[in-house]
Amino acid sequence: MATGLLMRGAISTAKISPLASRFIPSRLQATAAAAVAEPVEQPTSTTKPKDLKTFQIYRWNPDNPTKPQLRNYEIDLNSCGPMVLDALIKIKNEIDPTLTFRRSCREGICGSCAMNIDGCNGLACLTKIDKSGPPSMINPLPHMFVIKDLVVDMTNFYNQYKSIEPWLKRKNPPPVKGKEIPQTKKDRAKLDGMYECILCACCSTSCPSYWWNPESYLGPAALLHANRWIMDSRDEYTKERLDAVNDEFKLYRCHTILNCARACPKGLNPGKQIQNIKKLELS
Amino acid sequence: MGASKGGTRLSGMQKQVLSMYRGFLRAARSKSLEHRRQIESVVSAEFRRNSKQVDRKNFIYIEYLLHRGKKQLDQLNSPDTVGLSSLNVEGN
Amino acid sequence: MALRAAVLRHIRVPVQTLGLKSNPRAPSGSIRLMSSHDDHLSKEEVADRVLSVVKSFPKVDPSRVTPEVHFQKDLGLDSLDSVEIVMALEEEFKLEIPDKEADKIDSCNLAIEYIHNHPLAS
Repeated sequence: MATGLLMRGAISTAKISPLASRFIPSRLQATAAAAVAEPVEQPTSTTKPKDLKTFQIYRWNPDNPTKPQLRNYEIDLNSCGPMVLDALIKIKNEIDPTLTFRRSCREGICGSCAMNIDGCNGLACLTKIDKSGPPSMINPLPHMFVIKDLVVDMTNFYNQYKSIEPWLKRKNPPPVKGKEIPQTKKDRAKLDGMYECILCACCSTSCPSYWWNPESYLGPAALLHANRWIMDSRDEYTKERLDAVNDEFKLYRCHTILNCARACPKGLNPGKQIQNIKKLELS
Repeated sequence: MGASKGGTRLSGMQKQVLSMYRGFLRAARSKSLEHRRQIESVVSAEFRRNSKQVDRKNFIYIEYLLHRGKKQLDQLNSPDTVGLSSLNVEGN
Repeated sequence: MALRAAVLRHIRVPVQTLGLKSNPRAPSGSIRLMSSHDDHLSKEEVADRVLSVVKSFPKVDPSRVTPEVHFQKDLGLDSLDSVEIVMALEEEFKLEIPDKEADKIDSCNLAIEYIHNHPLAS
């Protein structure tokens, strides 16, 4: 529980920086950079004592398909960036180049590095290394097919996203031919809390209901996106969209467990959006 | 149908494998004769190689292979796919 | 092929008409049409054709094939070979045998029995 709380704290502070760096460049970015710079710029061979930390990482390789195992890697945090992704990259660079994981943007916008860190789903790039605690355990996203090490098969997840038809659907042409369809600020605000989703699958793979019905239940991420298009004032297929998900399994396997909201590295609440769909289904 | 006379009972996973093998042979039927033979030989070689090499208790790996095979079969079943070839990477 | 089989399964026309239209290559097709008035292939004919399919399977010694023969125990085949034989029988008799049934067919006897009882075998 302590780790859980700590992790949530780490996530929410880290979450500020990428957004902040875009809109208020000067001050916040400077502090964020300073926080990062200190440990990174320490050369390995300073007099400073080593701050060793062990990572237990799930390893499985289909080319040598022995039993999956947790392998220990010990690194010096004084020569490592502050995030779990920094540690993984350091391990891959310096200790074991065969360690396999997905990563890209390292700032919480691509969603590639979703994994289970110390029992909680999250993005490795937004999760701070727990400096004081016991060894950190890193596993692939739970209940997903592992392709190799921390890389899981996202096919089913993406197909579910595709199934909700995540694009603007219209019956009428735009008000001005060939131009965009305008939207009031108020209508635009209805999409807040949804458009930010980066489809990292942290929420869906933390949901027990999704674990048991991974194919028939759409899961929090896909349903959040379903609601994003249902609520879009410009979309003219609202009723059809509601009908499409109005299904005992697709929608109603959500039992408001709300692990999704706990897991979301972007601080969204998919459970709330699902509630909104359920409410609209009744009206 | 009566029970197979004392024959070996197939496990659920074995049934899945055989069903997938059937799926591949069925998919091959929909392709041109030349490609059909090619597909059959590649697929049959792959299943036979794995039937000998894979530890029958290594469920994680068999599940992985089934999962990968399912994706390949979906691709093969697409009318856009005309044939199948295999690449042999030696070494490691 | 699959589509055809699926369509056939839903349109229950008498097998006789089917025999007229399709399957000109079946060796005994014409004889059967002239000699028999019932809807089914005769059991003997099914048996003959099943045995000839099994005999022509590359790994099988044709001299050992009898109606009683068990694919794996008597012919030394494995389960993958059984799948191939059942698939070959599907094509010979223009059937599609569902997995559940196909898994059970492990001898010439069961194959003959299944195909003989199948209303669409041709």
